[in-house]
Amino acid sequence: MKTFSKKMLSGAIALTLLGFVGTASAVVNVQCPGDIDGDADWVTPGETQPANTKCMHLIAGDSFAVMSDDNPMYIFGFGDKTGVGNLPDVVIGNGILAAEWPGPTIELDQGDEFYLNLTNVGTVMRPDLFDPHTVHFHGFPNASAVFDGVPEVSISINMGSTLTYYYNIVEPGTYIYHCHVEATEHMEMGMLANLYVHPAQDMTGCVNGNQNCPVSQRGGNATGPGGYVYNDGDGTTAWDVEYALQFSSFDDKFHDASLFVQPLPFAMLHGTYPQINGRGYPDTIRLGDLPPPTDNTAPVAGHPAGKVTGTPGEILNNGDPTQTMDSVIQVNQGQRLLLRLSNVGLDRFWTITAMGLKMKIVGAGARLMRGSDGKNLYRETASLNFGGGETTDVIIDTSDVAPGTYFLHATEVHQMSNLTQLDGGMITEIVVN
Amino acid sequence: MKRLLKQPGRLMGLLFTGMSCMLAVPQAQAEHDIRGITQANPTGQFNLYAFPFNMNLPEGTSLYMWGFGDMNSGDGRTHQMQGGGYALPQYPAPTLIVQEGEPVVINMTNYGVPSPVSIVVTGHNVTPTCVVSVMNTDTNQDNCDGLITMEAEVNETVSYSFTAGSPGTYIYHSIGGDNPALHTEMGLLGVMIVRPADGSRTAYGENTGTDYDQENLYLMTEIDPDIHLQMEKGHYQHFTNSDRHAKIWFINGRVFPDLFQGDFNSLFPNQPYESLVLAHPGDKVLVRNVNAGHDSHPMHYHGENLRFIGRDGKMLSSNGTDADLGRSDNTINSAPKQTVDALWTWTGKDLNWDAYGPINTSCTDSNHDMADDFTGALCNDQNCIDLENNRTGALGPDGFDDHNFQYCPDHGKELPVTLPGVGDLTLGGWWSGSPFLGDTGDLPVGEGGLNPFGGYFLVWHSHAEKELTTFDIFPGGSLGSVVIVPPSAPID
Repeated sequence: MKTFSKKMLSGAIALTLLGFVGTASAVVNVQCPGDIDGDADWVTPGETQPANTKCMHLIAGDSFAVMSDDNPMYIFGFGDKTGVGNLPDVVIGNGILAAEWPGPTIELDQGDEFYLNLTNVGTVMRPDLFDPHTVHFHGFPNASAVFDGVPEVSISINMGSTLTYYYNIVEPGTYIYHCHVEATEHMEMGMLANLYVHPAQDMTGCVNGNQNCPVSQRGGNATGPGGYVYNDGDGTTAWDVEYALQFSSFDDKFHDASLFVQPLPFAMLHGTYPQINGRGYPDTIRLGDLPPPTDNTAPVAGHPAGKVTGTPGEILNNGDPTQTMDSVIQVNQGQRLLLRLSNVGLDRFWTITAMGLKMKIVGAGARLMRGSDGKNLYRETASLNFGGGETTDVIIDTSDVAPGTYFLHATEVHQMSNLTQLDGGMITEIVVN
Repeated sequence: MKRLLKQPGRLMGLLFTGMSCMLAVPQAQAEHDIRGITQANPTGQFNLYAFPFNMNLPEGTSLYMWGFGDMNSGDGRTHQMQGGGYALPQYPAPTLIVQEGEPVVINMTNYGVPSPVSIVVTGHNVTPTCVVSVMNTDTNQDNCDGLITMEAEVNETVSYSFTAGSPGTYIYHSIGGDNPALHTEMGLLGVMIVRPADGSRTAYGENTGTDYDQENLYLMTEIDPDIHLQMEKGHYQHFTNSDRHAKIWFINGRVFPDLFQGDFNSLFPNQPYESLVLAHPGDKVLVRNVNAGHDSHPMHYHGENLRFIGRDGKMLSSNGTDADLGRSDNTINSAPKQTVDALWTWTGKDLNWDAYGPINTSCTDSNHDMADDFTGALCNDQNCIDLENNRTGALGPDGFDDHNFQYCPDHGKELPVTLPGVGDLTLGGWWSGSPFLGDTGDLPVGEGGLNPFGGYFLVWHSHAEKELTTFDIFPGGSLGSVVIVPPSAPID
């Protein structure tokens, strides 16, 4: 029997909404300037995208992700439903079991006005839960409480409804976004994602006349660098290739407790599946999407085959891939490689090294590494220690690097495993061609 | 508010208008300092004692602790209105406030901790003396001998002397006995703040660019309740350090939501220090971020980035004159026993909508504190007066209203989106009901109510989110907050 039929689930959601949230108006309401049909884009004829405006329609819900040892993990997460429209049936029908791990990457430009619509489609695998959700734009400067997404001190969106966040983007850098509702639970369950902002200097070059920073390729100059990390004024944060790598870890016991409706082990929370962008090695270097999540075909981690449904190999969602971010890093010798590193670990610090390569830390916490009087405080290092919530911008200059494959990994080398499976976890490869 | 007070003419105006609206808007001291004790007591020295106690946590735990208490009952307290007569053993230990170059003596008597207690002070070379008197005998004639420094067994006293070093934030704690790791775990730890010799209201001295309006302590610790249970049962040898697994995380010795309550709240008799920070828009908030625990904690500051100015009692400086090596971040990688001093300011700049909401032409705000002169309600009048730089006083606009730091380019701009109705939302207890600063909205019965000034709560918390729990219960642990309150709201 197909437990995860889309039609059945949307019916279940509709019933849930009717039965338990009777007083709420439960309305999917997408707000996006210039967008007439409420799908958060400007594709429909007659729609015009206003200058410096970006829109997105995220859903918050649940789904599954499969670890590199074939162990399926129940997750909460975000999915991108921009372009899907604003009809509740359609959005919820598309949004259920469509959470991605990690969430969709948000990439913005300094000067953007960003309208982020968040629709809560509920957690169909856990119909006993009525959790609201939020987006917390981690590191947003001069934040207001209303758009900061911390439910204890602000508002969060109930199932079936949409909350539109508005952000005026003025500070470039590497951020994170995540849900802040029942933060320990929702973040452990996977409501985490990459977010970064490109600087205005990409488009203008240095406005102070410094000759070392021409307009970048992002700004249309084919001979310029790919871009800059910050408005450095001196070209020292120029890069040719950029990647965002988010470091995280799942505690399999926590996810299984959530799936099987058991008390959540907060005090004993302990990451057992260290990951980069939602995968452990060697899945980190599998190009493109992983296949849609399926139930395990062989016993894993003390569970029999078919841990979730009892049917080994059963597809666990609507058949869409949920792990869409690989961490394959390709760079040509001589290029400057920018890594936007973020740590969303819940229970421990990690130290990252790129064996054989020198990392230059040029930014942290969405700011240039620069002192109050303008001194660059860049640091060349072989290791970077960071904790949850820290973001670091690292440039690796490959001019003097021999072509080959280099490993980027956690120096706490026991993190290089997927639970009991060795040679996994927090590893990816940097290929210098 | 600070700028108002600098100008005698306006101050008189404020006083007169203040008379009429005293009931609505109490004019209070607008600056906060960290609570603590000084040597300004009849003995001219710190006199601490060590004693066991139990403290209760909001999820029901009663934790057996060892703590330091002030034998002078708060005679040397920094704030006359708070902490008078307070002499209980406390978690954390009393915050010691001294001045650069000041000779410091801490006389510490162990009145009941069943392990020899000592004091070390980070960054300081401390001379211990075993005190033998009629009252205090060196019970076993070992001259208070200890591995790292002199130790006081029960009814023994050790006197620790040193000269207060460079301005900044330090930790003092006990370390010794059979198991040196036990003492900080059990609560024998506190903070010492060294203020600059020039007496200025700065972190590191006049002209170092480290002046501040609000000063707050963020002291992180963590506890493994199993160890405390074993100690309470007297199983002193029962625990090995490799078994330690912390399950409760504290800021200033309290967990969420207790840490929002005021200093010296009698609900928490042995936990006198709160960690709710209040600031007006534009205020420079000095955060003394201290990790006195055994584990690292990534403290994340919502609302705006911090600029680091010092670490471990040393200004981050290449030249000794200003904190030029301090960078900016929103998260502090706090290593155990490390202190970081940082400045944090929220202005609401560039929201691209008016944080104070629509312009209201029917209210009166003659003292420019964003509150109506008569009702005290939010008053966002048509004025945004920006003739001078709020920081330097130089003529010429800096974008901010000269009186209340309202960001003038956004003045009158509408909120760009429509918020869902309350039926579609889950409302936090500290949600004011309105997106606007200083405003309170209509909330359903039983919702909200914990944010009477209509402030912006921006949480400051450990981003190892596991640490937002108290012994397996969420929410709890090290979830603190700053509140941006409108200029009319008092801060003390």
